[in-house]
Amino acid sequence: MLRVTNLTKRLPDGTVLLDGITFTVRKGEFVGILGASGAGKSLTMRCIVGLTSASEGEVAFTGEQGKTYTTTTIKGADLRRARRNIGMIFQGSNLVKRLSVLENVMVGRLGRINPLRSWLYGFTDREAEEAMDALSRVDMARFAARPTGSLSGGEMQRVAIARAIFQRPLCYLADEPIASLDPKNSLAIMRLLQPLASEHPILGSFHQPAMTAEFCTRVLGLRNGTIVYDGSPKMSPSQLAAIYSQEPNDERPSEPQRRPKGPMIGGAVMAAGNPA
Amino acid sequence: MTWADFRLERYGRIVKPGAVLLLLTVLALWRVDANVADLASGITKGVSIFRLFLPPAWSAFPSMIQPALVTVLLALTATPIGAACALAFGLAAARNVAPPWLRASARTAMAFERGLPEIVILLILVAAFGLGPFAGIIALVIGSVGMLGKLVGDAIEEIDPGTVDSVACVGATHAQMIRFVVLPEILPALLANMMFRFEVNIRASVLLGAVGAGGIGYELTLAMNQLEYGKATVAAFVSFVLVFVSERASNLIRSRVLAGDRLA
Repeated sequence: MLRVTNLTKRLPDGTVLLDGITFTVRKGEFVGILGASGAGKSLTMRCIVGLTSASEGEVAFTGEQGKTYTTTTIKGADLRRARRNIGMIFQGSNLVKRLSVLENVMVGRLGRINPLRSWLYGFTDREAEEAMDALSRVDMARFAARPTGSLSGGEMQRVAIARAIFQRPLCYLADEPIASLDPKNSLAIMRLLQPLASEHPILGSFHQPAMTAEFCTRVLGLRNGTIVYDGSPKMSPSQLAAIYSQEPNDERPSEPQRRPKGPMIGGAVMAAGNPA
Repeated sequence: MTWADFRLERYGRIVKPGAVLLLLTVLALWRVDANVADLASGITKGVSIFRLFLPPAWSAFPSMIQPALVTVLLALTATPIGAACALAFGLAAARNVAPPWLRASARTAMAFERGLPEIVILLILVAAFGLGPFAGIIALVIGSVGMLGKLVGDAIEEIDPGTVDSVACVGATHAQMIRFVVLPEILPALLANMMFRFEVNIRASVLLGAVGAGGIGYELTLAMNQLEYGKATVAAFVSFVLVFVSERASNLIRSRVLAGDRLA
């Protein structure tokens, strides 16, 4: 179980990025966060796994043997123990490009094995077999020996999911897992994620309301750092508008228009490096 | 603005720096008493001296093989040792691995070292270890660390922070992240730069030989001092072959490493 209470993130200059985010993710749930770019979806996830420190509030995560970790305050070995139970699925491009696909999957187990052994010896045959099983689940077993950098975006995303499965976590976090994929691949990734939720809950951030309506069990709507919707994934147009519509007062000041550099000839700009 | 104005603005910009450069060159030539008459007499003198070097004393060739091997061995031992030390310095010099004070001191030490030519390092080391290949090896190792360490540090800092975050999120320790993110990501770059440094070390090794590290460079100075110019020609030829072959070999291996990298 993952409980986020009053999570708030303020920048030193006073800008409020997250404002009192409160929600709980329970067993069996597939929670999708919707929100415009900059609403705070990724930041919420980063605060949950302790990659970014929160200004206020706390995240309580129930780890192995029911032990509760407050990931917003713990550090060092405690934070590592909490993290190994959270399967974070980043955009696939965050894999280690020069390791093979299989090695990237096995990296998911680093938090659970003896650090000295992993340094000197690497992984065991049994771990490799289990990692192959995880790859089979996402239909990527035949790519196991390939260098990860040679895969396509959709393939990398599958490997990222295989790594999270192999990690054997108690909950999954998926930060925009389908943001950079085409519709066909997006659908395939959602179909892989959905059955995982029956084992361990998933909290994912998305940009496609149609996808969350089809696959999620619950949707959180985030807007300017506050939760404006928490309920059924089947949303009415007006509920969607409440998340995405632009109001005059939340328009960010646009960047000052930069004047093109270079001499003007009859109103046309000459490129400085190309006098011809 | 017309085209002529534009041209003036564009090319006028190089007039002032160009004039300053020209003035400095003329001043420097005047200061070192350069004149055309000296140049002319120097060339004729040079040509007559050049004749002394021919024909090469090929009979000295067999005695050059052993010193040539010493020169190659100097570079061959110093380069991998230097690369290993550079890895340690590179980790210490990377923002995403080391704390700021360590990064600053490692970078300062390496910048200081790069400011010292290998010859200066060798002359200092000779005072400590005496003449011979050992001081030469240490001088080359130190020289390699200054360059390779900086390149390794820069390569580590270019690793995608998203990759580092994502591996941190499985609960990996700092050391595990170095083993499974940093090393695989920078190893091809380190190998390629190490091959390049091997080539540089061969040149430096010839040069260091001349000031006391032994090897072919020493044979060259010895022959010159003993006025055996034919022998000096052979030594120069052997050094040329060493440098040429090491450059070809280094290019070949580097392109192999980088070709493998393109696939990876």
